[in-house]
Amino acid sequence: MTMTTLSQTPVAQGLGQGKRAVLRRIESRIVDGAIGGVSVVAFLFLYVPIVALIIFSFDRSPLSSSWTGFTWGWYTTLFHDTFLIGALKVSLIVAVSSAVVSTVMALMSAVVLSRLAFKGKRAFMAMLFLPLLVPEIVLSVAIITMMSRLGLSLGYGSLIAGHIVLTLPYGTLLLFGAATRLDPSLEEAATDLGCNAFSAFMRVIFPLLLPAVFASLLLSFTISFTDVVMSNFASGVGTTTLPVYVYGLLKTGISPEINALGTLLVVGTLVIVGIIGMRQLVSIMAGQSGRGKAGPVELAELNAESN
Amino acid sequence: MLLAPACLVLLAFVVIPLVLVFRDSLDAPSIYGGVTSKLTVSNYTTIFQSTYLGVIRHSLLVAAENTILCVSVGYCVAYWIVTRPPSRQPILILLLIVPFWTDFIVRTFTWINLLSDQGVLNGLLRVTGIHRTPLQLIPSSTAVFIGLLYAFLPTAVLPIYAALRNSDLTLLEAAEDLGCGRIALHRRIVFPLASVGVLASALLIFVPTMGVYVITVLLGGGKQLLIGNLLETVYLEFRDIPLGAAISIVMVVFMLVTLAVVATASNVLRKRVQ
Repeated sequence: MTMTTLSQTPVAQGLGQGKRAVLRRIESRIVDGAIGGVSVVAFLFLYVPIVALIIFSFDRSPLSSSWTGFTWGWYTTLFHDTFLIGALKVSLIVAVSSAVVSTVMALMSAVVLSRLAFKGKRAFMAMLFLPLLVPEIVLSVAIITMMSRLGLSLGYGSLIAGHIVLTLPYGTLLLFGAATRLDPSLEEAATDLGCNAFSAFMRVIFPLLLPAVFASLLLSFTISFTDVVMSNFASGVGTTTLPVYVYGLLKTGISPEINALGTLLVVGTLVIVGIIGMRQLVSIMAGQSGRGKAGPVELAELNAESN
Repeated sequence: MLLAPACLVLLAFVVIPLVLVFRDSLDAPSIYGGVTSKLTVSNYTTIFQSTYLGVIRHSLLVAAENTILCVSVGYCVAYWIVTRPPSRQPILILLLIVPFWTDFIVRTFTWINLLSDQGVLNGLLRVTGIHRTPLQLIPSSTAVFIGLLYAFLPTAVLPIYAALRNSDLTLLEAAEDLGCGRIALHRRIVFPLASVGVLASALLIFVPTMGVYVITVLLGGGKQLLIGNLLETVYLEFRDIPLGAAISIVMVVFMLVTLAVVATASNVLRKRVQ
């Protein structure tokens, strides 16, 4: 009886709350600590292999677990591998052409999508998201099926077509996001000042979208250049791309020069990331808050809506 | 008019080919690796035989495990990034994207460096005397698991991060001020806010995991096959186009089912939030 009356006094209540606050603080520490810990380990997990790759690319004998001495040897091996250089050329041709074609199409679509509401918009959107949702291996099967029906042999044509399919949705979303963020009054002003639709686009819209166009080109290039699944299916005789060639090498055994190649590719990625610029990249990959939206979440959301 | 080129490409290289693949899946294979026109479901009955069914069951299991692992870690990383100072968040996202954009084959290969008999991990275990005989990690299902997590982790983080960043984070402070504990905070506020992103992540991981074949070949030694391996072997090596087409259609069905589940779940969540 006395106990209950005591615990009902304001002082005791205050003590109880204090205790609860302490418990809560401990709980916060544990939960935040666990989440922070998992995150730091996750970042280490992402980078330890890359650091190992770079270190091994200069190791004389990377197949043993200890450091055996510095060498540039793997890089020279790489540059003397004529098959690898050939595959690199194929990859560059395919990546550049598919990036250019897909970005031009993406720009055209994005301008329309951001300005007009029309009947088939949903259907078009659904079609655009298809390549993002259908597993790449199925898209690859679909493209070589089409090629054989048309009686065409596999080669640059099928590779470029396949890579356009893979990159078009990303390019379109990126440019769509950029185009919706433009102020529509700019275009109106241009037409008021005597521009027709085409010259308004060329002189006002296009220059403003130029950074996004560059980003789309580089993103498409990267997707195409690093692609292995589609390329493995769609490449023909003599059109082996670099990743397919490397995959072939690794299937038969470990080739230490791949460390050197990987290091060069990591450097290449960093250069591309640097060119696109951090801010733009983050808005592409993680979605943009506000009006212009383009990112995996919005993709999924839009798609869920169109269903 | 301006949409015409994109429309044409998508129709010619995605929509129509998928229809053709479906048509092929109902055909019989011809002796020289082509198709013989005839209507049959024999390819589908073949898939539901024990050997192929085993691969499908294994793929579903691996895909589910990988999705759960990626999304759980992804949730933690996304929450952690979103609670960092705004000026530092782009750098952290950038750190996620760089490996994501690096060559897929190279990313898989690096794990051979680390996990092979002569690799870094076994070296460390030997030097520290924890384990004298090298652990056989390449090939192993553990290595496949690590490879899959490595390949899909950034995919998991980005949608969850986007969902959290686009929501009102002052809610968290408000809840804390009102005496909400951390676990309750996550259960009742952060997770519901992130849930649309979590679903998007799951969508972008579950079915694509089943289509992977490079990781299982390089890190798993070609044992413990996934549907992707099955498809590659049947299509590119056996040249059994109708059977390959049927396997493709099964994957498309998995994708549609996952999409339907995710779409329904997002709608339910959205209604509950409103």
